[in-house]
Amino acid sequence: MGGQACILYGAAEFSRDIDLVILIDDENLAALQNALKELQAEPIAVPPFSRENLERGHSCHFRALDPQCYGLRIDVMAKMRGVAAFDELYARRTTVTTKDGSLEIDLLSLPDLVRAKKTQRDKDWPMIRRLVEVDYFTSQSSNSDQRDQQLAFWFAELRTAGLLIELSSKNPEIARQHARARPAVRAALDSSNEDVVKELALEESVERDLDRVYWEGLKRELEEFRRTIRKN
Amino acid sequence: MQPIKPEDFLEPEWVEWYSLSPSERWERTTELWQTYLYLGGSLDPEPDTQSPFFDAEEFRQSFTDGRPGLHIVRRGGV
Repeated sequence: MGGQACILYGAAEFSRDIDLVILIDDENLAALQNALKELQAEPIAVPPFSRENLERGHSCHFRALDPQCYGLRIDVMAKMRGVAAFDELYARRTTVTTKDGSLEIDLLSLPDLVRAKKTQRDKDWPMIRRLVEVDYFTSQSSNSDQRDQQLAFWFAELRTAGLLIELSSKNPEIARQHARARPAVRAALDSSNEDVVKELALEESVERDLDRVYWEGLKRELEEFRRTIRKN
Repeated sequence: MQPIKPEDFLEPEWVEWYSLSPSERWERTTELWQTYLYLGGSLDPEPDTQSPFFDAEEFRQSFTDGRPGLHIVRRGGV
């Protein structure tokens, strides 16, 4: 769901960890623990790995000690701000196969990954822009249903001013529908690059504030976990 | 109005990266991993003070311990 997914979607070239989003149920947690054992992964940092912490929205962190992937960091989450529950995410996941067919990799769908990336961190925003750009340039569907879905996704999420203006000029009727919900599209219909850029910055600022608020309580809990560990 | 092409506003390496398939990107990034590790690249998360998981204390500690695999043999003046 993190940097590795961004690589496969074309928005990044390299990531040094693996982020997993998982279903919280007894069977799956047992399977995860078996997999972590196989990788000789030990928990690091806070919070402690527990069902309760995952359910509260925390991420649990591990480091693999198996010689084949020594030092690899693995982060596990089950809930993310603004993103659907696991069942829905899994139902609309993307599956990528390596060239030799030896490996199947399940990724968050592109729209879900974009939503998950709307965080308070600077580095996630250029990533979102590139994720949608790659899709815009490489996924022109000829199927009309899929095409409608693509257009809706691009109108909702494109963060490249020039491309949003181009999209709006090619599809003015649909753009007018989306303009009601997204001022950046309204500015794109007016072909105002400067205004689109302003509206995109405002969108980013709102989402970053929402993310900060979401994490306030969780960050206090993380600090408490750290204090307890340092005390002991 | 001419359609915008990736090369109109992206650097050539990004144009090439966008044009790859997911499995080709998987191959390339695997190669990058080998080089990264060979050069002593760290698998610790990059310091990100904006991340909710950032622990300033742990970050300071990692500098005290130094980075595995990298040794400074010459340092330029500041």
